[in-house]
Amino acid sequence: MIVKDVIIIGGGSTGCGIARDLALRGVSHCLIEKNDFAAGATGACHGLLHSGGRYVVSDPAAAAECIAENRILRKIGRKCVERTDGLFIRLPGDSKKYRDAFLKSCERLGIETEVLSPTRALELVPSLNPALEEAVRVPDCSIDPFRLCMLNIVTSQARGGEILTHHEVIDIIKERGRCVGVRAREKLSSSIKEIRGKAIVNATGAWAQRIARLSGSSLPMTLSKGSLVVTNHRLSNMVINRLRPPSDGDIIVPNEAVCLAGTTSVAVDDPDNMDVTAGEVEIVAREAASMVPEFERVRLIRTYAGVRPLLHAASEDGRQISRNFQIIDHTNGLFSIIGGKLSTYRLMAEKLCDAIMKEFGLKTACATAEKPLEGQEELRGYPLSKRLESLKDIVCECELVSRSEVERVIQRINPKHIGDIQHRTRLGMGPCQGGFCTYRALGIMQETGKMPPEESMHILKEFLQRRFKGVRPALWGDQLREEQLIEYIYLGILSMESH
Amino acid sequence: MNSGTYDAVVIGGGMSGLTAAITLCDAGKTVAVVSKGDPVCCLSTGCIDILNSADNPLQGISALPSGHPYGFVGQDAIIEAHERFIKIGAEWKIPYIGAIHESRQIVTPLGTRKTTCLIPKTMEYAAYDESDYIHIVSFKGLKDFYPSYIITRHGNAGHSVFDAAVPSTIGIAERFEDERFRETFAEWIIKQNIPEGKIALPAVLGIRSSLSIYEELSRRTERTFFEIPTLPPSLPGIRLFNCLKKALLARGGRLYWGNEIASIEKLGASIEGVTLKNPGRVARVQGKAFILATGSFVSGGLFARMDSVHETVFDLPVSYPEKRSIWFKETFFSTGHQIEKAGVEIDSSFRPLDGPFENLFVCGSIIARSEVMKYGCGHGMAIATGYAAARSCEGFIT
Repeated sequence: MIVKDVIIIGGGSTGCGIARDLALRGVSHCLIEKNDFAAGATGACHGLLHSGGRYVVSDPAAAAECIAENRILRKIGRKCVERTDGLFIRLPGDSKKYRDAFLKSCERLGIETEVLSPTRALELVPSLNPALEEAVRVPDCSIDPFRLCMLNIVTSQARGGEILTHHEVIDIIKERGRCVGVRAREKLSSSIKEIRGKAIVNATGAWAQRIARLSGSSLPMTLSKGSLVVTNHRLSNMVINRLRPPSDGDIIVPNEAVCLAGTTSVAVDDPDNMDVTAGEVEIVAREAASMVPEFERVRLIRTYAGVRPLLHAASEDGRQISRNFQIIDHTNGLFSIIGGKLSTYRLMAEKLCDAIMKEFGLKTACATAEKPLEGQEELRGYPLSKRLESLKDIVCECELVSRSEVERVIQRINPKHIGDIQHRTRLGMGPCQGGFCTYRALGIMQETGKMPPEESMHILKEFLQRRFKGVRPALWGDQLREEQLIEYIYLGILSMESH
Repeated sequence: MNSGTYDAVVIGGGMSGLTAAITLCDAGKTVAVVSKGDPVCCLSTGCIDILNSADNPLQGISALPSGHPYGFVGQDAIIEAHERFIKIGAEWKIPYIGAIHESRQIVTPLGTRKTTCLIPKTMEYAAYDESDYIHIVSFKGLKDFYPSYIITRHGNAGHSVFDAAVPSTIGIAERFEDERFRETFAEWIIKQNIPEGKIALPAVLGIRSSLSIYEELSRRTERTFFEIPTLPPSLPGIRLFNCLKKALLARGGRLYWGNEIASIEKLGASIEGVTLKNPGRVARVQGKAFILATGSFVSGGLFARMDSVHETVFDLPVSYPEKRSIWFKETFFSTGHQIEKAGVEIDSSFRPLDGPFENLFVCGSIIARSEVMKYGCGHGMAIATGYAAARSCEGFIT
């Protein structure tokens, strides 16, 4: 049995942020995540560190939070934030009134803006639609959600935090009406662990309702699916937004060697069962192409969807609901935190931890905004340019990941899934989407004796199916060629069976 | 301008195109092959899949749905085409084992059994019983071959690793072309004291002289070996391609390699010639007849836009399932995706249906409804239609 002061359920940005916050306040804790870090909405978003511009007209309170957190994260997370800046571009037909309201509200909230002529905007981002009428520069940034989570966890683990990934909470233990612990099942071995704590935090995003129900509480919320596409190269070095009220497919974010574009907003019931439809891909590709015309021709190497957990509202359109977060004290030792966004994860963690400190009668203040994220100095070989230095023994040609890098991760974290390696090395994140290198990474895992081969066959199958689900909605052009080659390799040359 | 005039010009230098070109050469015609690069054949296992979905491919072919390209070839021509292929293989020292009426199995790098039909001699002993001892030899640092995949599936197996000082299949294959290396390797094998049984190794036994390397190794060590075809780039696929290329050149065929087609010269319903993109000087290739053998999507004969499919050289009419949402099934492991049916419809003389040209013939996987993955008929269908389209073209020229 593990005994800690606080049990955090959920290893997304919120849960990881809470673990770091508690660690810095000296509160013992255990984080339980049913998959790997950033497996839910955290890893399935744009990876955009908002300047606030997007919400500045529709939701000024959210915009104010964004710009404050944007400044903090730029300061404390230099190695997971890329200071790209962003452009809000106005195309012919887009309302000038909205533009005026946008600039006015930015000024009021202190979001730095610079109005650019089309010529200047095209100098900065040559791939922009040359028909644009003007652009407004804001301090949007690109942020790596996987790294962000892992860096938060570094602080937690360095101060005795217990981190259980691939553990699913199956039961909340109650005594005299209060939640006093959880039972978690390790996914691979199915062994059950009991963890006891004085407070339990439900930071499970779209799955929050499920956890609340385990404790006998209810949590009305709305789920909104957002679908995104990934391009095979970096079409823009800046974040591109449309200068108009938030709508489908109007954000493009550069991320390492690729660009992400999205999203859509579709109400869904089940966070575990989400498909990106061919129609959604067309909407996103078309909208993105109106800002960056190259989107009509570029290879879309992957599609994915995340679920926004939104506080319950009667409104049909998920975008109308505030993205602000809310902390719910179920008054039985369980605290749920829902809503919010990646950009404000730290603030959400701070407020949640404040509530816990109050519950515990403690007074230590939050320190997460001042201290730089720990572990950043150890991040090496990550940018593509650095990887070129060790071109030997490359196992993932798309992202230039070497065999020794894979072996290092295997030795360090004892991975149980291919995602554990992908998120730490970017293996399989490039144009072939792991079509070649997953077979290799699993082979290397077998050779190091860290994974029984029969298990790796199972993982390989699961991976190929998940990959196919992600690429299927965007199969045309060169991506269709690549897909048929992958099919030929696995079903033809390797003769893989379905079961 | 550099130009040449031929009886027939074949566009596409893969299995079907080279087969068609060789067939025409054998009929005494002058032939040129135009190709933009090495074909998909080089990525293949080198085995000839004729109809993997059937135990007896020849019988299975007669049961295929009407409209499948094999149906246009006819049984006698299918047999004739493969007999000629086997002869060419023997002629260029990559003898093929097997018979067209019998499927057989080889081992894959995952340890699964792959069904195929004709196999290179170096894979002859790939079939084994569950009780047989198999010893796998792998090479240090080779990133596409992991013996543990095979050992898991076949309990009675052992494994040793040889350091060839190069980590790629092609690099190791090149080393095997060197006699001193072969000697060292054979001595190492003998020293391993491998228990009785077959020795399996990834397909790295040479690029140009695989047969003699294979035989020499067996002789020196007095052991039975077999090759396991690896992920692309695949040596058995490259050997197969080289064999057909050499056969064509030996027959006086001309190759225009590494050139994409820049423009087409037409006169009425006839194609007169094609000009090639060629840095430096323009090349023009003229012919009495043309054979389109550019393959399907992977090799670039077909190209899909978001909502339509196109033939990339002549913009011929293409039949395809209309809605993109049904092009692919929902799961990766279900073969028979609708998009596989896309292609150019042909008539019984291998001319494009409703096409604007009377001197154009079509062969290989660009033909509509070939469904190569579903039926497991890639190279076999290419050989058969390449032969048949050439025959039809020959009749047209004379």
